[in-house]
Amino acid sequence: MKQESATRRIVVAAIALSAAAAALVGLALLAGASPIDALRALAEGSVGSRAALGETLARATALVLTAIAASVAFRAGVLNIGLEGQFLAGAVAAAAVGPLLSGAPFAARACLLAASTLAGALWVLPAAYLEARRGVPEVLSTILLNLIAAAAVSGLVRGALQDPKGDYPQSRALPDAVRLAPLVSGSRATAAIVAALALALLVTLVLEATPLGLKLRVTGLAPTAARAIGLPGARLRLLAFSASGALAGLAGGLEVLAVTGRLYDPFSAGAGYTGIAAALLGGSHPLAAAASATLFAALGAGSSAMQRDTGVPGALATIVPGVLVLAVLAARARLTQKGA
Amino acid sequence: MSGFFAVALLLAAPLLLAAAGELLLERAGSIQIGLEGTMLIGAFTAFAAARSGAGPHAALLAAAGAGLLAGAAFAAFAVAGRADPILVGTAWNLVAAGGTAFSYRLLAGETGSILEVKALPSFVFGLPAAALAAFLVPAVLEVFLARTRPGLALVAAGENPLALEATGGSVVAVRTAASVAAGALGASGGALLVLTVSPTFVEGVTAGRGFLALALVVFARWKPLRLVPGALLVGGATALQYRLQAGGGTGIPYAVFLALPGLLALFALAAARGRGGAPKALGTPAP
Repeated sequence: MKQESATRRIVVAAIALSAAAAALVGLALLAGASPIDALRALAEGSVGSRAALGETLARATALVLTAIAASVAFRAGVLNIGLEGQFLAGAVAAAAVGPLLSGAPFAARACLLAASTLAGALWVLPAAYLEARRGVPEVLSTILLNLIAAAAVSGLVRGALQDPKGDYPQSRALPDAVRLAPLVSGSRATAAIVAALALALLVTLVLEATPLGLKLRVTGLAPTAARAIGLPGARLRLLAFSASGALAGLAGGLEVLAVTGRLYDPFSAGAGYTGIAAALLGGSHPLAAAASATLFAALGAGSSAMQRDTGVPGALATIVPGVLVLAVLAARARLTQKGA
Repeated sequence: MSGFFAVALLLAAPLLLAAAGELLLERAGSIQIGLEGTMLIGAFTAFAAARSGAGPHAALLAAAGAGLLAGAAFAAFAVAGRADPILVGTAWNLVAAGGTAFSYRLLAGETGSILEVKALPSFVFGLPAAALAAFLVPAVLEVFLARTRPGLALVAAGENPLALEATGGSVVAVRTAASVAAGALGASGGALLVLTVSPTFVEGVTAGRGFLALALVVFARWKPLRLVPGALLVGGATALQYRLQAGGGTGIPYAVFLALPGLLALFALAAARGRGGAPKALGTPAP
């Protein structure tokens, strides 16, 4: 990911936001609703009340983490498109370990999150191995690992992990003592969002202000130069790849611990893919990516209210991030061609 | 057992069409990892056309038409616009998944009931003519790439874009044309799902087939005829999954069956030794 000047970044952001606004208005009109009403419902449903804000923050936890995860990989030149699969691996680990845990809630949560983080990092390994030893591009292998993870979730909640009480395709619920309680009553937001934002800050520090971060960035920006100055490129890529998987796995674990309390099918509404979009919008800077992820979470929370109040389908929340990214890519490419 | 083979062929056909289109685009030097999205667009267009009274063949044509437009739109960003095709493809999947879900809700309203459409009529062995025709596409591509002038220009755009430009060709024009054709083929593949396998549309009806088709292209080492065994393998695995799922009690975890096509594709990638046979300029911007 190339670095760009501040002015250029502002121009690109302005173009992208206008495209997103145009998409919002266009889609509302297409659905036969007044764009003003749709926007008002969107705003009220995302930040208009304590419950709405809580919903936005609850949704933001997973997206912030997958967005940081994508940023770490992209900055080191690893095209990890497999965040969705790593997120699911983390959620599966949480659902498998969680109901077994008893005793002090703090220790139980630590175990659960450690298992999720590890599962996410491990889910990267087949792709990393195939890339290093067999030259298989990680773009393709991680996409296939997403499919395999989704199939595994679908099978596990009807098999090994199914809740014996009831016929639903879902796992056993976490004990109430282990689940994270809301920060404020009447809202779904938990301390998980605080942890996610703290991690965004930590990852930024590591990437921007440590020798390790510098090595990772050089590997991503100029692989040949990195090799010439003796950096262990393969090992740095593997490190970034597994750190990225670990963060996505943690996102899956926190989703179970803080939001859903159990695993079901289909579990993810595209948290991995939306996280990639947030990272691209944020230029793979963890803090900017986290901000974009929060924006997408608000869009997701608001779109449910918008669908209920104005009939504009909530799938708008999936379209707009895609449009934003396309606009950013097109604007950047155009500015580069002009030599700006 | 003939029933099993018919189902395997029926399931292989959409993959084959989509993979053939992707192969064409990749041989021209671009790559569309949003093929899943293009297939979804085709599936929804066929569904929408059939719901508004078009016959199944007309619905297939409508989907192919939508695919042409989708291919042109992708090329506007990733070929003429010179944005990174991998990133465009990722965003493309979001827009297509959201866009088809959005449109489906507008079309179907709040009803939870399944809206059926008329499937393509059977030609032989319960297979419609369009599904059988899919198996001819790789042979046509093989001849096109090796024996025709436009085919050679397409290969040049993927192997040595500068040489093509030096001889007066336009890499942007060639790759755009390939993208348009790939869009039509991918969307037709998606349409076949709706018009044969299950005659209705649900969100995410393509169920990862676009991603499997991407892997097939690598497995075939970018040679059109080699797509056929790969597609039959994945089609067969999916047919097996349906059969065993219905039979039940095999002692093998259900999750393994669901994951079988993806696992097979992953092993196939490993066996194909990655980039061997890839066009030299694959994924690089046009000069």
